[in-house]
Amino acid sequence: MSGNSQRVVITGTGAVSALGGTTDELWEGLLAARCGVRCLPRFVTAGLSVTTGGEVDAAPHHQTDRDEVMASLAIEGALSSAALKAEAVGFIWATGLDTFQIGVKGLEYRSAGSCFNALAQKFRGPQRMIATACASGTQAIGEAFRLVKSGRAEAIVAGGSSAMLTPFYLIGFAGLQAIAVDEAGGDPTAACRPFDRQRRGFALGDGAGAVMVETLASAQLRGATPLAEIVGFGMSQDAFDLNRPSDDGVGAELCMRRTLQDAGLVPDDVQAVNAHGTGTFAGDLAEAAALRRIFGEAGVPVSSVKGAIGHAMAAAGALEAIVALKTCATGIVPPTVNLNEPGEGCELDHVIGKPRQVDARAVLSVSFGMGGQNAAIILRRMLD
Amino acid sequence: MIHLIAAAIKNDIAGVRETSPELWRQIRRYNLPVQLALAAADEAAKAAEDPAKAALFSLAPCQSGSPELHQWTQAAAASGPNGHIGNLRVNPTHTLHAVDNLGLSAFAIMQGNHEYCLGLGGAAGQAWCGLEAVGERLLAGCETEALLMAGDQEGEAGRNGLGIALLFSREPKPYGRTGRFVKVESVERIRLGEMISVQPHAAAGLQAFVAGIHHGGSGRVAYEVAAELGNGMDKITIILEIT
Repeated sequence: MSGNSQRVVITGTGAVSALGGTTDELWEGLLAARCGVRCLPRFVTAGLSVTTGGEVDAAPHHQTDRDEVMASLAIEGALSSAALKAEAVGFIWATGLDTFQIGVKGLEYRSAGSCFNALAQKFRGPQRMIATACASGTQAIGEAFRLVKSGRAEAIVAGGSSAMLTPFYLIGFAGLQAIAVDEAGGDPTAACRPFDRQRRGFALGDGAGAVMVETLASAQLRGATPLAEIVGFGMSQDAFDLNRPSDDGVGAELCMRRTLQDAGLVPDDVQAVNAHGTGTFAGDLAEAAALRRIFGEAGVPVSSVKGAIGHAMAAAGALEAIVALKTCATGIVPPTVNLNEPGEGCELDHVIGKPRQVDARAVLSVSFGMGGQNAAIILRRMLD
Repeated sequence: MIHLIAAAIKNDIAGVRETSPELWRQIRRYNLPVQLALAAADEAAKAAEDPAKAALFSLAPCQSGSPELHQWTQAAAASGPNGHIGNLRVNPTHTLHAVDNLGLSAFAIMQGNHEYCLGLGGAAGQAWCGLEAVGERLLAGCETEALLMAGDQEGEAGRNGLGIALLFSREPKPYGRTGRFVKVESVERIRLGEMISVQPHAAAGLQAFVAGIHHGGSGRVAYEVAAELGNGMDKITIILEIT
């Protein structure tokens, strides 16, 4: 167990994704198996080999400060739904990578660090910028959990944002063979197929996700409604390869087992998994292998959001934690969009086609970063 | 309280290439900030009981860590807002150069380290968050040692840079060959009335901190972080006990 002090809950959320600008739009879109990934005409004009992505309409692509705009929308969502002011809380956030945005004035360099400090100014308390690639959003929430649990802060806004739908990253990730390159006549909404037999990489997505992490005592004192409890956080490193995990997913397994241990739970205590599920060939294989070893062949219901909103990188883990929270609160696991037939080695208890009702007392949400950093958290339904 | 037990600073990658061919073989594919951070981390880790079991903390460059990124985007911009750029090629390794966790990942692979890690991003003043996080982690009793590493460059050309690594222990141990004990007690912050300008650099602040320890006296020391090496929001003071 990580310390033995405060119980930690989530009291507010904000989500900006290709499915809409609110948590409700994200959740309802997932339950309807709607796909926000689409063809982006500017990339067709530019002649790129990848022209699809999960774009956020709330922050148009010609708006060069859209990194800050998306983050601010999600942060404001978390603050307002928790009924807390920024001045009263800390801030642990992942702003992703430096980007170059092309706006009406031409090329503009956007520093992820400057974006973080611009967002952080209004907060008090601990302020940290997390940079562990695709694991960043989950680690931001996990670090906030750790600080709040140990009594170093009473409440922290945690999460991440990402504005990576730019030619550089599309071409670069295509070079890494990680992204779903266009297929002649292919359906752009089916670009990302987590765990599917026909998967061929992820679709990049922009977005932002924020949660208010707070002590239960503070929430009760304010009369705020806890949405779910955070009970465990774990990290590990693959130490294997910069671009891919080992086929057996031992790094991911170690991370998930550490998270279970931190929560004082065993695999049978978990009723659903929000998977990393990017749609890459190697990543999905490794994750499925790790999940089978932990949860057995019967397994638990597994779902990935990336077929619907793309891979939002630094925001991904935070958006997925929000989905896990909704599963805890409602007992509904959304389906994995674009998963029709699991690929060889990807056999799990996938939620396919339509939502599934489960008695979701505890949900595991996992993120595995390119480079080998792995992060996971466990959320528990509020029982008392 | 945690104890600083080793520090390594690197600003000359040519020297690494000549004196440590095996290390150079492992780091040559990366860009300068990552090379320098890894060279420093490799040296500091030699003082560790078991670098594979240490908690790892890294700071991403504040300056964009990829000269290739700048070159490529200039070429893309030159084609105009509706230009055809599909023929441009980006070396996948250069994409990795833009990934902030590159140094952390590479060092974990070099050391076979599967333990807890924290990558902090390229915002001004994150070095002091790193110092706080190292303290929290070691005091929680999860690991006995922790390594904090950083690398950065001067401007986008990437010709000059600085790498630094600090090794900390939960147990009282002397700092390097000085024979002195350097105990880091706390990082204290006071919010400033207004934002001040800073010089974002992942490694410069820690370099100044190490210099302050070398040149400072003994006893309880309040090391004040220079304003331009902070986060622009807080006055930051590190409380040390040097004996």
